[in-house]
Amino acid sequence: MADPNELQAKLKLLCDAYAAQLPEKLKQLGQVWKQLPQDSWDEEGFQTMHRMVHSLTGSGKTFGFALLSDVARNLEEHLKQLAQAKTALSAQQRRHIHGLISELHQVTLHRDAPVDNQSGLIAAAPLNRGTASSKHIFVVEDDNEQAEELKVQLSYFGYEVSVFSNLTDFRLAMQAKPDVVVLMDINFPEDSRGGVQAIREIQQERNIPIPIVFLTAHNKFDARLEAVRAGSIAYLSKPVEIGSLIDKLDNLTSPQSFTQCRVLIVEDSESLTTYYATALENAGMVVKVVNNPLDVMVPLLEFNPDLILLDIYMPECNGLELAKVIRQLDAFVSIPIVFLSAESDLDKQLFAMGLGGDDFLTKPIQPQHLISSVTNRIQRSLILRSFMVRDSLTGLLNHTAIKDQLALEVARAKRQKTQLAFAMIDIDHFKQINDTYGHPVGDGVIRSLSRLLKQRLRETDMIGRYGGEEFAAILSNADGMAAVEVLDAIRKDFSRFRHLADGKEFFVTFSCGIADISHFTDSTKLGDAADKALYQAKHDGRNQVVLAKVLAPTVSIETSASKNSH
Amino acid sequence: MADKLTRILYVEDEPDIQMVARLALEALGGFTVEICSSGDEALQRSPGFNPQLFLLDVMMPGMDGPNTLKMLRALTQFANTPVVFMTAKVQPGEVAGYKELGAVDVIPKPFDPMTLASRVQGIWERCHG
Repeated sequence: MADPNELQAKLKLLCDAYAAQLPEKLKQLGQVWKQLPQDSWDEEGFQTMHRMVHSLTGSGKTFGFALLSDVARNLEEHLKQLAQAKTALSAQQRRHIHGLISELHQVTLHRDAPVDNQSGLIAAAPLNRGTASSKHIFVVEDDNEQAEELKVQLSYFGYEVSVFSNLTDFRLAMQAKPDVVVLMDINFPEDSRGGVQAIREIQQERNIPIPIVFLTAHNKFDARLEAVRAGSIAYLSKPVEIGSLIDKLDNLTSPQSFTQCRVLIVEDSESLTTYYATALENAGMVVKVVNNPLDVMVPLLEFNPDLILLDIYMPECNGLELAKVIRQLDAFVSIPIVFLSAESDLDKQLFAMGLGGDDFLTKPIQPQHLISSVTNRIQRSLILRSFMVRDSLTGLLNHTAIKDQLALEVARAKRQKTQLAFAMIDIDHFKQINDTYGHPVGDGVIRSLSRLLKQRLRETDMIGRYGGEEFAAILSNADGMAAVEVLDAIRKDFSRFRHLADGKEFFVTFSCGIADISHFTDSTKLGDAADKALYQAKHDGRNQVVLAKVLAPTVSIETSASKNSH
Repeated sequence: MADKLTRILYVEDEPDIQMVARLALEALGGFTVEICSSGDEALQRSPGFNPQLFLLDVMMPGMDGPNTLKMLRALTQFANTPVVFMTAKVQPGEVAGYKELGAVDVIPKPFDPMTLASRVQGIWERCHG
């Protein structure tokens, strides 16, 4: 078997060579296109052009230019339609083809990230790796004790688990083609690589492979490769570290979609905004549209977008002015702004960038291009922002960020007259854990709680690491009672969660204080109240959730005040 | 279980695809691969190389994939050798059409070099399962 590093290096050389040839290929394509007569149909020239485009479609992605394949495919479809008519092209058809060819030029700049060496080889293998929509897991493991342990541990993270102790039962269950993730032991008494073989057979029955995680005592490369070929998405050695397993499963069950990506479109043409919005929404983004640039402020603050698409030419206030205004707001100094315009003059584009734009898309814009451009901008900006607002150990929001968010969310909840609860969580006797087992184990406990919170709270909830062993969570659209219910369930499961240190297991609990905005009406009061409730929980013996109570008079005053104001 | 797949003949007119396919199939898959740039060349070299499986690009100048398949089938030696088409045009109707022509499967292009070998292996095992 080839050394994977060497293989990657060779593959990279081939991709580089392909990349180097691309400009020449596109130039030739452009020449053939220019030479096609405008007033008649040139079958031969057209066939040549079709072949050149077809070749790009069939090769781009192989060499790391997936977008090139996409655009070329689009162009090819057009050419095919035209080839059926075999008549001289209309001005509009010519313009369209011309646009697609220039788009080809643009997307050659868009090279996919290379897969990195060995881990990349493993990770890159499943082409259409399935993402599981359900949280149902099939554990196939002949050792009952290990299987039950996995089942219990996974259930704490909200996964539903079915255990199969032999391959026959498993095969039978798979005939119904359930939407599951499979955790497969490789070794079975009847066959030392029986697990791989079974999976291979099952994958062949499916159009979209099921996601598989192999569990094994083997750690040899050939065993890994075999697993890859059977379509595995991960390969974990036993004993399984539950944390890394959950990370893998989380990636699968909540694919890196852009559900959180929020795009604000400011464009006066309603038909265009519908077009853009549909394209982005289909890619899983949340879109808010503003047709009058003068109305932008409120949606900007309330919607809190990750990126703004701005039309340059609008009546009343043009996009360039608007970009300047937006950039003057502290909260939006670093937000990506992408201009949309029919302007293809590079000087004017650069001028627009100078005024605070990050990118410039020329109309007409292909949906694919729009999506990739927006996605890339958002991803980069989110990564940058994450360095500023994320806690490095847990990936949760840091102290400042969660406090900022709390202020924003409280303001939003008040405007929208919705509920909001704030929870403060503190791991019990954390110092003892650090002292007994050492800091790395303590860090592990912190990560496990952060994972559990991420798992069990909703995507719309925000979670932060407030300090050392202290966490905070903002639960939107939830009142205090609902938040207590959710966090108490998490508390119970966490207390049953098995932690490991030097082969010894131990258990950890947390205390939690909760307050909601029906009783504490601004973010400072809310934070103080949750903190006091947390103190109360600690004081009352730890391992419990306490809801902040308001003295009766305060409640009545607030209720009557709010009545009066209506 | 049938013979192990070792010898593959791949007909592809584009040099860059030839190279990446060779790398994918030889280095990653461990197969022995003979590459021909046209259908004519494939017809000349197949009897000597005696492939166990053919990979044919569909759209080639001169003799295209389907025609190459017909010509190969005319040679008794390859009357039943599995043939897999490689093509960028993969719509469900087309796949059925290719299978009617006698192909055992269709691999869509652009392919992922990291999975090409396992894909071919999978098709082989299905043919001989």
